[in-house]
Amino acid sequence: MQVRLTDRIFDPQAETAAFTAGRDDAGALVSFVGTCRAATDGGAVEELRIDHYPGFTEKEITRLAQEISRRFDCPDLLVVHRVGRIRPGEAIVLVAALSVHRAKAFEAVKLLMDYLKTDAPLWKKESGPDGARWIEPRDEDHARRIAAEKGWV
Amino acid sequence: MIRLVFLGKFGDVAPAGLAEISLPGGVRTLGDLQSWLARQQPLLGRAMAATRTRLIVNQCVAHDLSCPVADGDEIAFLPPMSGG
Repeated sequence: MQVRLTDRIFDPQAETAAFTAGRDDAGALVSFVGTCRAATDGGAVEELRIDHYPGFTEKEITRLAQEISRRFDCPDLLVVHRVGRIRPGEAIVLVAALSVHRAKAFEAVKLLMDYLKTDAPLWKKESGPDGARWIEPRDEDHARRIAAEKGWV
Repeated sequence: MIRLVFLGKFGDVAPAGLAEISLPGGVRTLGDLQSWLARQQPLLGRAMAATRTRLIVNQCVAHDLSCPVADGDEIAFLPPMSGG
């Protein structure tokens, strides 16, 4: 289990390669990369800023990842999340799961992303030509999280 | 002294002078502290009242506003989260 926050640009491919290096105990690797878009529903985005609460944020994401690892019997999970200032095109988050079979790895990555959207102590602020706005989870994020909890998806 | 941490949009309206303060007189619980803050900083009080605010005491989630506040504590105010 690896959970890391970073205020630097990271390379998801290199992170994933390092995560899987030397591993022969897993039959499946599933990874997801979320990137900063140049435009959202709120308008053009010039910069994204992600606030975190040092110590607490890492602890909470680790707790969520451990819970999912237990539930889906994943041998290992990787979470890399950017904090600070991010430009469009840069990776924001990488979640990867190594599992014996693919089904559990897919499920683990999906649920961990749903958790991160609504439960990780991170706060996003988008800045564009029209000013800056704080982003809050959308109703569909909460709905997805609740549905995933109940095993409907 | 107590340390106060305001995350996300609360950080935009909380003055820097609140980062470290003497425990205000009459403040014994998280509820007391929140009321005191709302009186001192109406803008911050309104921002916290307008959304779901979670409180963290010494890096642990506080489930109850009756939770005591003591000298040396660090209390963080968290607006709804938006990671991923």
